[in-house]
Amino acid sequence: MKALVTGLAILFALVVATAFGQLLPGLGRIVDPFLLLVVYCGLRGGETHGMMAGLAAGWVQDVHFAGPVLGLSPLTKVVVGFMVGLAGNRFLLVGLGARTIVLLAAAAADALLFQWLAAVFDVRVSDLGPLGLLWRATVNAGLGVGLFELADRRLARGGEA
Amino acid sequence: MALALGAQKSRFLLVGLVLVHLAVISHQVDAGGGISLLQRAVFSLLSPLQSGLSGAVRGVAAGWRGWIDLRRVHQANQRLEERVRYVETLLQERQHQAREADRLRELLALRQALPLETIAAEVVTRDGVPWFRTLTIDRGRDAGVALEAAVISPTGVLGRVIAVGPRAAKVQLLQDRESGAGVVVERSRVAGVVSGQLGFADAGPTDLVMKYVPALADVVVGDVVVTSGMDRIYPKGLVVGTVRVVGPGSGLFKEILVAPAARPDQIEEVLVVKAVEAPPVLDESVK
Repeated sequence: MKALVTGLAILFALVVATAFGQLLPGLGRIVDPFLLLVVYCGLRGGETHGMMAGLAAGWVQDVHFAGPVLGLSPLTKVVVGFMVGLAGNRFLLVGLGARTIVLLAAAAADALLFQWLAAVFDVRVSDLGPLGLLWRATVNAGLGVGLFELADRRLARGGEA
Repeated sequence: MALALGAQKSRFLLVGLVLVHLAVISHQVDAGGGISLLQRAVFSLLSPLQSGLSGAVRGVAAGWRGWIDLRRVHQANQRLEERVRYVETLLQERQHQAREADRLRELLALRQALPLETIAAEVVTRDGVPWFRTLTIDRGRDAGVALEAAVISPTGVLGRVIAVGPRAAKVQLLQDRESGAGVVVERSRVAGVVSGQLGFADAGPTDLVMKYVPALADVVVGDVVVTSGMDRIYPKGLVVGTVRVVGPGSGLFKEILVAPAARPDQIEEVLVVKAVEAPPVLDESVK
């Protein structure tokens, strides 16, 4: 069931990313719905769930949006999902502030790790720069905090029902 | 405990996933030269082993080829040695035939130039010492050889027949002390008689002695001496030799030594003049 929900969430993230790419290309390069999904899965399901979600989300993202080299996004998101899941198991990351920090860190880690891997494998990618990195992390963190609240409420309502 | 096991499993999973992804990515990335990082890593790992194996195989193959080549070379060498021996024998035979052909050609030329009827004969034995006084030819009475017949070679007069059998004849050379031939100096027409200096057991000079030449006669070193025909044995005009020494002598005559033109030690074929009724006249080409 968890896998099915995660799969559906990945498809939704794909739709959102595609829509952003079509409608708001500038924002589409900043907002990463797959990352938000991976972070949420890591926080809710632990490191294994976070890794598997990162694996699937990353491959979907790479297949649809990446360049000639596949595998950078899944690898990045596997690591991010694991780290977030590990942090979620160790710490109580349920508050708004904690989630914001986790999202900021996850977004930054995702971007930095991606760029580092791209540099290691000599794959040409657009360099975000410190400001771009900060902007991307902030946007994704803000968006993610809101979405996570909505998802928590939705899941809580589903649990009560 | 279960939580710890789950965490450990997830870490193994993470490591596995990371490694798999690294492999997948590196496989796609060109590391230069058209090969991926994964290929390069695999090549780097396996290439020493491959090189070693390849070197060993090459070494064994080269050794085997060397052994086979060595055997082939050995066999070829044996074949070539046999071939060389055969060719050397053939060459000697051909050279012998060529020399014989040259001699026969000279003899034939002489025979055609002479206004005499002659019989070609081959020398079969000599005296066995360098100072030949007699030799034996393979033509005798059956071929028309007669006693006292003159024997000549392409280079000059050799001697005369002193014994004749049905199929062989003995020739006394001019070098024999007992021989004699009437001669003239071609340039000054001074007449004389030449004879040899060698006795039965002598090993002395092979020059001929020209006798009975007056002390005032015009003879100088280098004069060519030819037969005069006066002895009724040797046809007139055949070359006998060249004057080598002219001395005052004792008494009325000069002492003249003539180097013979014919070389008995090298002659293999000769011409025997058939019976001569009268001394024929030779033209200049014969001289």
